[in-house]
Parts: sequence; C-alpha cells; structure tokens
Amino acid sequence: MTVRNPIKDRVAIVGVGSTGFTRTNERSALALALDAATRAIRDAGLGAHDVDGVIAVGEPGAPSPPALASALGLDTVKHWTRPAPVILFAIVDAANAIFAGSADTVLVVSALLRPRGTSRGASVDPLRPQGVAAVPRVPESIALAPAYAAWASRWLDEHGATREAWARIAVNGRTNALRNPLAALRTPITLADHAAARMVREPLGLLDMDLPVDGADAFVLTSAERARALPHPPVLLHATATGMVGENTEDQLASLARHGQHVVVEQLRAKGDFWIDDVDVYCPYDGFTVIAAAWIENAGWCRPGDAARFLRAHWVDSESRVLIRGRVPINPHGGSLSEGGTRGTGHLREAVVQLRGEAGDRQVADARTALVTPGGFFFNAQGVLLRRA
Amino acid sequence: MSPTDTPDDAELVRRLAHLPVERDTAAHYRGYLRRELVMNRCDDCGFWHHPMRPMCPACWSWRVEPAAVSGRGTLYLCTLLHQGPPADGVDYARGPHPVVTVQLEEQAGLRFTGTMVGCAPDAIRIGMPVELTWIERGGCPYPAFRPAPIAAGA
Repeated sequence: MTVRNPIKDRVAIVGVGSTGFTRTNERSALALALDAATRAIRDAGLGAHDVDGVIAVGEPGAPSPPALASALGLDTVKHWTRPAPVILFAIVDAANAIFAGSADTVLVVSALLRPRGTSRGASVDPLRPQGVAAVPRVPESIALAPAYAAWASRWLDEHGATREAWARIAVNGRTNALRNPLAALRTPITLADHAAARMVREPLGLLDMDLPVDGADAFVLTSAERARALPHPPVLLHATATGMVGENTEDQLASLARHGQHVVVEQLRAKGDFWIDDVDVYCPYDGFTVIAAAWIENAGWCRPGDAARFLRAHWVDSESRVLIRGRVPINPHGGSLSEGGTRGTGHLREAVVQLRGEAGDRQVADARTALVTPGGFFFNAQGVLLRRA
Repeated sequence: MSPTDTPDDAELVRRLAHLPVERDTAAHYRGYLRRELVMNRCDDCGFWHHPMRPMCPACWSWRVEPAAVSGRGTLYLCTLLHQGPPADGVDYARGPHPVVTVQLEEQAGLRFTGTMVGCAPDAIRIGMPVELTWIERGGCPYPAFRPAPIAAGA
C-alpha cells in the first residue's frame, strides 16, 4: 500500500472554544454553538471577517452551517459542509478544504443538546426539541449503541478477560476530570464503585458508558503559514485518518481482529513520522470503556486482550490513574466517561490545549506530540497525530 | 399465520407496524408470517448476506433471491438489556432481556440477532449451539433462538 500524506504539517488548529459540558443547561443548541464558535475565533485572534469556511457537525438538532454563518454575521463563506458526527470527519474536511484552496480559515463547530425523551433531565424541559434516540426501535438489535455491549461480550470471551481494564479506564477518567473545569462529572470513583455499578447493557454497566450532556466545542483551522502570525503556538495536523472495513454492520462485522480502528492505525503509522513511543499526550475515545481498551490494544500499547495488564502495570495507585511510563496520562481531561459524551471533541480540544502548554494543573510536562483516536469499531473510527509547531 | 399467509405489501406493513418493513426488507419480514427466517442469497455466486440488500456484496449481481436459512448456529455475541426499547412481551423489571447474535451454519460470518428463550440469561454462553424458534410479538410470529440439543456445524 502506497500511502501519501502531502498535507502533513500544512494545516494547523489555531483556535479552540468550549462551553463546557453539563446536564443542567438551559440554553439552545444555537446559543451553545455560538458561544463555542465566538470563543474559538477570538482565541485564534481573529474576527468574523476572517472566517470563510463553516463546518457544523450533523448532530441531531444542531444548527446548520448556513444558520451559524447567519448568526455569526460572516461576510463570505466559500466552503461549508455538515459531516456526520464524531469530530474528525469535520476536521479532515476542514483541513482538506484549506489545503486545496477552497477556503483559508475554517470554523468547525459541534453542538450537543440532549433531545427531549432521551433523558429524565432533558424530558422536563418543554423548550427543547423532541429528538430521535440513538438506539434501535426493537430490543432485538445491536445497531448503534448496543453494539458495544454485544462486542464487549466477545472481547471478554476471546481473551478470557475480566472487566478490570474497563474499570481502570473508568476510574482513570474520573480522576483526571477532577482537574478539568469543563467536565460534567467531577466526583472521584473507585474500582469497587465500577464493580458495584448497576448493569445497563450487560456486560457494560453504568460506569462503562459516557453520559449524554449539553455543550459545544469549536475549532478554528488555517494554513500552517497563516498560523505563524496568530497568537498561539500552532498545533499542526501531522497525519489524519478515518477508517472502516467493508462489512461494518454491527452484527455482521467479521471480527475484533480487523475493523475501523485497525484501518486507522495502519494509515497513521504509515503517514506519520512518529508513533506511540514518541507521544506525549494520548486521548483514545471512551464513549464506552471497551472502546478505549480496544484502541489501547489496537494502537499497539499492548497485545490484544492485554489492556488490563497494561493499565495495571502503568497504574499510579497514589494518584488513582494511569501514567504510561510514569509520564503520559490517558485522557487527561477525563474523556467522554467523565467530561461528557462529546463525540470526540473533548479529546481533540484537550490535545490542542496540552500541546499549547495551557492545561494548567493537568499539564503534561513539555508536551510536543499527541495521538487522538475518536470513534469506535464500525463506521466512525478516526485518528490524528498532532504536533506543536 | 400459516404457510399460506401471504398478505400484500400494505397489509404486511400494517400487521408488522412494530418492524421496519421497507422495499429491501419486506421479504425478510414476510417470512416471519410463515415462521421462516429469510435472508438474501445470490443466484450467481451463492453468497448469503444479511441485512437484506438489493445487490450481492460479493459479486455485484442483482440476482439476489430471498431464501430461508435453517436457523441453526452458534451463539457469537450476547448482551443482557437491563433497560431498553419497549416491546410487546418484554418487561425489564422482571429481569434482563437477552439479545444474542448467532453465527448461522449456512456460511461463515452470516449472522442474525434475536432474543434467547429456554435458557436463563446467566446461563447463556458464547459458543453454545442454538436453533431457531418463534415467539409472538404484536400478534405475529417473531424469530428467537433457543439452546440446541446437539452441536451445530457453524
């Protein structure tokens, strides 16, 4: 396989903005999107007249790119799209648009507003749109979210594994979220709490699942050349990848041995100049704990089925979290399990903030490179290698 | 509900209102009324596929024909729903509802997802041989699996 990566280090993330994530929000999806967008554009040292591309992730109920452009009062928009959720589809599109010359400076926004009918908190808010739940309409289906519980059973069976790896991922995330003011859940949990949590879709329990939240993240991207004139150290897209295998229907996927995560890892390893041995910041998606365990294994930190042993070996008991080789945390912002189900925006934002050296009391010392791998097994696996310019 | 139960499309959609009966899936759901688990098989290359698609993913032939599978196979995935979508005959308060994906004996990797009956949820094991059975949902037959007395060939 010949791999091309002409875009390597040519596009930068120059602005980030977040509303933070919560279950007690009373703002609209448009308000959240505009809050994150204006924060990100200002963070980049830019204004409305500088943005000529708008990408809004197609989350249910989220404002469209035209609605955002109108509400932001943009002058001229030359590129706009509404990609499927999980954030790197939008980031890859933004980068390609900039590299190809379709637009110069692109705003990416992902706004989440829990629809009425999907949670108790959301259901009591009469001003919230009614939405379609992301679960199948009959119980006897493993489409969408239940797929991870079903394949988690397979992961346990094939590896003779226990739920220990999932427990460590859950506890690690919650510990890290204590230092993230944007996070929805900021109370510590223990391995015993994970074991005692009620089952929801067995073998996955309440603490194996991210939580639905309201909030928005935004990013501003431009060319590496333009980025040099802006206030923050540019964070360069070194390599990106999205991936799936041909038969990706949840119950027909051939096996745990080759799915979207493998396609992503193969591409990133071939495109990038560095890999996990040289990564300072590591953010694997953790919408379900089993997804993070699989990313850790499939990225090559350990062998398939060995996530528990790996996490135990790098567990810092006094801190109740993982530091790989005593240095590299996993999801220092707390991940989707604790910050909230951001669909990967939190993972990407955290990597950018860390590479800028702006992560405060959760800062990884001298962070220069990051690996972020959003998405799961079937049709939204993604990855990006980032480096500080 | 007999081998001669062959409603027209409008009647099929009305009777199976709880299921996503559409152009490409109608033959699958129509099979429920005959208590047959129907999937598409390619007339040109013999490849089975599921869910139902109008073209063979293996050889791109359009000559795909619905045909009944045996329903025998091996349990491949299992989740126990402690909460989930409401459905006729499913009461999460009485205990978790099993959802299993079965690898069918017709072809490696050909699978179907349903519930499991005749077996306590905590006794369900990946790798156990199972066979097709039928339960009732919305007044119509609905496929399910139960433990098979002898090992299947899947």
